[in-house]
Amino acid sequence: MNVELKNIHKHFGKTHANRGINLTIPSGTIQGILGENGAGKSTLMKILSGFIQADPGSEVILDGKPVYMDSPASAIRYGVGMLHQDPLDFPPMRILDNFLLGLPSSFFPNRKEATQDFNLLAKEYGFSFDPENYVDSLTVGERQQLEIMRLLFLGARVFILDEPTTGISASQKEKLFATLKKFPEQGMTVIFVSHKLEDVENLCDRVAVLRGGELVGETKPPYNTSKLVEMMFGKVVTLGERQPAQTGDTVLSFQNVSLEDTRLKIKNISLDLRAGEVIGLAGLEGSGQGMFMRACAGLVRPVSGKVILKGRDLTGKSYHTFKREGVNFLPAARLEEGLVPGLSLTDHFVLAEEPKGIFIDRAAGQKLAEDRIKSFNIRGTPTSTVESLSGGNQQRAELALLQSPLSLILLEHPTRGLDIESVIYIWSKLKDRCRQDGAAIIFISSDLEEVLQYSDRLLVFFSGRVSEPIDAATTSVEQLGQLIGGKNWPEKGGAHA
Amino acid sequence: MQKNFARLAAMLALATLLVLVACGGPAPVEPPSTDGGGGSSGGDSGSGETAPTVEVPSGSGGSSDEPFVFGMLLVGPYNDNGWSQAHYEAGLYLEENLNAKMVYLDKVNPADRPGTTPDQLAEELVAQGAKLVIFNSDDMKDASTTFAKNNPDIYVIMASGDQVWQDGKAFQEIPNLMNIMGRMEYGKMIGGCAAALSTETGKIGYLGPLINDETRRLAASAYLGAKYCYEMAGNDPAELDFKVTWIGFWFNIPGVTLDPVQVSNDFYTTDYDIVISGIDNPVNLGEAAKLKAEGKAVAGVAYDYVAACEAAPDVCLGVPYFNWGPEYLKAINSAIDGSWQSQFIWAGPDWADLNNHDTSTIGFEKGPALSADDAAMLDGFIAELAGGLNLWTGPINLQDGSAYLADGEVASDQQVWYLPQLLEGMEGLSAAE
Amino acid sequence: MLKTRFGGVLFQAVAFVLAMSFVSLILVAVGASPLEAYKNMLTGSVGSMRKLAEVLVSFVPLLLVTAGLLLTFSAGLWNIGVEGQIVLGAIGTTWALRYFVDSTLPPALIIALSILAGMFAGALWAAFAGILKTFGGVNEIFGGLGLNFVSTALTLYLIFGPWKREGVASMSGTEPFPDIFSLPQLPDLRISPWALGIALVAIVVVYFILQGTYFGLRIKAVGKNFRAAYLLGIPTWQYSLYSFLICGALAGAAGALQVTAVYHRLIPSISSGYGYLGLMVAMLINYQAIWAVPVAFFFAALNIGSIQLPIVLKLDSSLSGVLQGVLVLFVLLMEGVRQKFVKKV
Repeated sequence: MNVELKNIHKHFGKTHANRGINLTIPSGTIQGILGENGAGKSTLMKILSGFIQADPGSEVILDGKPVYMDSPASAIRYGVGMLHQDPLDFPPMRILDNFLLGLPSSFFPNRKEATQDFNLLAKEYGFSFDPENYVDSLTVGERQQLEIMRLLFLGARVFILDEPTTGISASQKEKLFATLKKFPEQGMTVIFVSHKLEDVENLCDRVAVLRGGELVGETKPPYNTSKLVEMMFGKVVTLGERQPAQTGDTVLSFQNVSLEDTRLKIKNISLDLRAGEVIGLAGLEGSGQGMFMRACAGLVRPVSGKVILKGRDLTGKSYHTFKREGVNFLPAARLEEGLVPGLSLTDHFVLAEEPKGIFIDRAAGQKLAEDRIKSFNIRGTPTSTVESLSGGNQQRAELALLQSPLSLILLEHPTRGLDIESVIYIWSKLKDRCRQDGAAIIFISSDLEEVLQYSDRLLVFFSGRVSEPIDAATTSVEQLGQLIGGKNWPEKGGAHA
Repeated sequence: MQKNFARLAAMLALATLLVLVACGGPAPVEPPSTDGGGGSSGGDSGSGETAPTVEVPSGSGGSSDEPFVFGMLLVGPYNDNGWSQAHYEAGLYLEENLNAKMVYLDKVNPADRPGTTPDQLAEELVAQGAKLVIFNSDDMKDASTTFAKNNPDIYVIMASGDQVWQDGKAFQEIPNLMNIMGRMEYGKMIGGCAAALSTETGKIGYLGPLINDETRRLAASAYLGAKYCYEMAGNDPAELDFKVTWIGFWFNIPGVTLDPVQVSNDFYTTDYDIVISGIDNPVNLGEAAKLKAEGKAVAGVAYDYVAACEAAPDVCLGVPYFNWGPEYLKAINSAIDGSWQSQFIWAGPDWADLNNHDTSTIGFEKGPALSADDAAMLDGFIAELAGGLNLWTGPINLQDGSAYLADGEVASDQQVWYLPQLLEGMEGLSAAE
Repeated sequence: MLKTRFGGVLFQAVAFVLAMSFVSLILVAVGASPLEAYKNMLTGSVGSMRKLAEVLVSFVPLLLVTAGLLLTFSAGLWNIGVEGQIVLGAIGTTWALRYFVDSTLPPALIIALSILAGMFAGALWAAFAGILKTFGGVNEIFGGLGLNFVSTALTLYLIFGPWKREGVASMSGTEPFPDIFSLPQLPDLRISPWALGIALVAIVVVYFILQGTYFGLRIKAVGKNFRAAYLLGIPTWQYSLYSFLICGALAGAAGALQVTAVYHRLIPSISSGYGYLGLMVAMLINYQAIWAVPVAFFFAALNIGSIQLPIVLKLDSSLSGVLQGVLVLFVLLMEGVRQKFVKKV
């Protein structure tokens, strides 16, 4: 199906998210859409898939016919289907039921027939599901496949995939790409939205780059990576150099600390963390690194052992005591734990400051917000509510909330879902704070390259076991990957450093 | 979504509570039927004792063609099938029997009309031309006093109060105010008698509202009637078991009062085969009907509402009720012809014809569950009462054993009105714990 | 446009018109003239100084309660127990008045102390709900409802038990206090300027707490995201409790004024349903303090204006309650519609 977007404009209040985008995607191609966070990719795709409506004057033309889509349901009738970052399904249901649920209501659910159709379709695209299995037994990658099948079944001819490679394994990614590559043969169109250059380069027949709501360029293979990056960011970007380990005074000291929750026990961790040092925590989700980090923040109380911060014994003290001593914790769930939806940026900065008197000085708050917004390069205004910001800007806002002076910064997935420029920016800010305040950093990331790139030492967690601190400079991704997977561990658990 | 759900849940809780609060008001009483036939205000039913008369300063008597406008404040809805409706229909009775026009306001209570006081609302009725205002509930006692004092030109009737009773404990001289109350003691005695005649187990339960002098004397009256008739039926009155359980209010408020359904059930399942209702609604009958269907021989006596037995005729022994029309008619006539006297009227039944709506302030309707024999005996008891039998005659002791009436001593109205405790032989609390 | 403040007001105006139309339809259905009914309600509420004063009598406690609820709602709490907090305020005030009634202290001081006692009792009652919530894990809605029942039972117990009046314990309440213990009223009007002043000061204070103080901002943060507020360093449960305490104190003040300015004694339904009405007002104004005064006044005017319906038109006066309820429902409904609109646009 041939897709033509003509003069697409979209305003959200004062924000002009799409500024007259013209893009033609011929039938049977895989079109990549590149752009950093907030470039307008998601808005454009939501317009195309009927989730939101463009401003008057914009046109969506499918196979030469202008169409008006006022809901995802009408979009799918025209043959446009969108695969979401978080697949929309109903976990406690059987795969087949979930599948049937998406079908038009006039469709009489004949389970036997549906099972046959389902299996036929799965086979054609190389998927293997047991339709009687439950959805929550599937991995994220498998759910994506299921969602693709559902859209196929509904007769989609245009597939929109928004950041589909986030959160899935390498093998699942390969499988997904293999599937997608079959689509053009059948005259179907794939629109692949990502900020990952590598994925786009591997998959797409053509690439369009958005920046600041405008279409800034289109290219075809062979791709020139640095050119793409330049188009995305409007300037040349390079990764930061690895910086040598800093060694200052001991900031945090764990002495034979044991931790416990309902699932996991971690025994006898001993660790000294020095000012300026960055420690990365690696491990599969739920291997104990989260509990360890919360123990550093005072959110989890050790069952035994001592936690000493800058010479003060804080064992068993509350999170707020830790915070007063300069420990800041930036949780991964930004809108659930880190920020307060409904409150503006100004409100947040005011809240994070020590109160001066009873009344808030609004003018000072506004000034503070403007300064922070500028120095942290947040795209938003002092009155923007945090939920209206993009993920990267929310992360910058969290960083801007770091108190001063700081002794320890704890970060959970600080750069998850962010584009490369944001990642570089955020790490440079973090390192600055480290230097200024003589603080140390502990962070969790599932991106092994990030862990190796930014930490001085790292700890690997594997089902409650903690490795000895490992020198990041002399460790390869491969070695790290094996440790995370539970291989090459010394006979005895328990870490001492 | 979750927030919306919370909103919804709260709205529901709120609505439920509003309904509960709105059902307020004291004992609803049966509405007398308005048989327009008997226009006379005759029948000198046992009119209450008359305080020394005090002349009203300025009597605005009625001119003959202008209708006399009277106002009525009702504590509950005018159609509550109970206390307030009885007054409302008495008002209609007045309109039919006099050249009079009623203006009324119902639901006069702080829960339904936040921020208002009955005296203020009475002024609204005066603004509509009312020259006499009836306050229909104990709730409005203080407000009626305030209003009467602030409006000396307006006649005031305060039903169920005792402010202008010279022999009362809280007498105030208010020339333009009159207290009217019915001697429900007789109705309760008859109800107690019906219960005693019908009981097989010799155990009678009394479903009481909250505890005050009025509710104590009504429960005691039921007991006196029961004891007398139990003996009349050939039993030893000392063996009669009479137990009062107070639920805490005139009707069920979940969480605040005892559940009257549960209390009734407890009575019936612990061998109390007859339960007398002293609260607003005859829930005892419903429970009795249920148990009777299971084969238990149980029955009940209702209260207030002339047709209350219709709820469960099979188990209803009868119902004592109020009929306000006759006394109101007399009072208004006295205001019109200038013979108004501030007095406390405690009107009894018309013994000649208990259920005559033109003459009798207290009535008793027998229920279908009363056997023919027992009905005949009950008629005998009523005849004895009519003939001068006074059960409030000593020797009677209070519940704690202290002497209340010496042998042969007849209780004064004060002694009955301000009954300090339940009587000896009754089981149950005499005062709030 | 729909996202803006103006858009919100527009939707609420539509809700108002819908609610009025709905009630008008009911009126037509029972054969009454809606115009006549509204006219009577209008003249019956603001037709004269006297009526206006009566509206204000109803307005004062409603505004106090709404002011308190704005804080608990901001803290993300459903303080259904506010009704009981009014009752306890009245009980506290009655207790203090009984205690001081024979003392030689100047009456003005006694009244002031009694109102403070009421505020204290209301705050105490709210603290129970707050503690149950914070330490007992009992949802404040259920805890509050339970405490409301207890407060009703306590009132009845006091009126018919220890605080029984001379003569027959009466539904009419405890013995009225001498006139010197009443808040002074305007000549020939029922409203006490003191009571009105207290209520207006309360709403202004709450407005400034929410708009301009660290305290208010923290309360809002706790209400909007308890977890994030905690991680941002706010002592969350303390702030939840503070909001309960202040709301309880304001509800207690409402109860205190019911005793000192309206009924001059403790009566069985002293709280008059103002707590539940206040919840409706707070929902209707979407927790914005700025609207509390006009909307609370409107509700109070409905309460008083509707008295004319049965008297003059022989109409059931529960109409005002219907209008209030319908209004809240339509406003919530329109708010839902608006949000759907905003999301789509």
